Amino acid sequence: MALSSTIYNTIFKRTSTFALACGISAFFFERTLDLGSETVFEKVNQGKLWNDMKDKL
Amino acid sequence: MIKPATVPNYLKAVSQVVSNQLSTNTQAAVIAKKPVCKIPHLGSSAIALSKTLPNGNMSVTTGPTVSTQIRWAHTDINVPDWSNYRRDTVKSPTAKSSDTEESRKNFTYLMAGGLSVGGAYGAKSVVTQFISTMSASADVLALAKIEIKLSSIPEGKSVTFKWRGKPLFIRHRTASEIAAEQAVAVASLRDPQHDNERVQNPEWLVVLGVCTHLGCVPIANAGDFGGYYCPCHGSHYDASGRIRKGPAPLNLEVPAYVFPEEDLLIVG
Repeated sequence: MALSSTIYNTIFKRTSTFALACGISAFFFERTLDLGSETVFEKVNQGKLWNDMKDKL
Repeated sequence: MIKPATVPNYLKAVSQVVSNQLSTNTQAAVIAKKPVCKIPHLGSSAIALSKTLPNGNMSVTTGPTVSTQIRWAHTDINVPDWSNYRRDTVKSPTAKSSDTEESRKNFTYLMAGGLSVGGAYGAKSVVTQFISTMSASADVLALAKIEIKLSSIPEGKSVTFKWRGKPLFIRHRTASEIAAEQAVAVASLRDPQHDNERVQNPEWLVVLGVCTHLGCVPIANAGDFGGYYCPCHGSHYDASGRIRKGPAPLNLEVPAYVFPEEDLLIVG
């Protein structure tokens, strides 16, 4: 209960801090999503990518 | 005798109630229960509700001869169960809503915040994609640089390459050419530039093969000064690419280039 009231009072109560928190988390969200999707893509296409075959050519 | 004037007397009826003076216990009036058509409650889903709809031949059940059914909306409609839509912390009627107010607000704001984070990410991706269409494409960037192996150019020879759609002259100068160009008096030139300003390595002259007069391509190893000669209007350039004679106003342009290795030249 104390944690949720702390979060509410410090972040969500004021629009300025709420918007700031959204912006900061958007930055981390972007990094995570981009790296994650890249990793998944490379895992799915393993052996077909340029990095995998450039030594053979 | 019946006369017209007395007819109303015969047609008149008078009823008079006379109390019998007996005290009787007041009896509770018994009202007959109205028959109410009970629809069995089969559930609130769309199929269950559709089963309660009339089907087949329908007949009028209200009118002058049939008693009118009255709906008592506050008694015979079941209030739906909203507990699926209510938050767990305030389902109990004894729960104090102020105790859990902040955690409930946190949940709501977290939903809104998550949506705006996703929206910001999407908006940024869209804007980036549209702006990146204005930048140079990969094939253009690949052509922006040219890599030249210098060992393939013998001494005293000028080789022409195509670079960014223009001819590029690479000249491997001999020792006598270098000495001659270094000795030229700068003050006597139309576009005064010392040879050292135009070359990084005196052995190698790198210039654009575009005449500064009207843009023709000069011919290598021709002209009065042993450098380049433009056949269009007769401009003579020396072995440092400087204009010496003819209509051209400026020296041949020197592009940006580097020697990353002993044997390698990269222009661009």
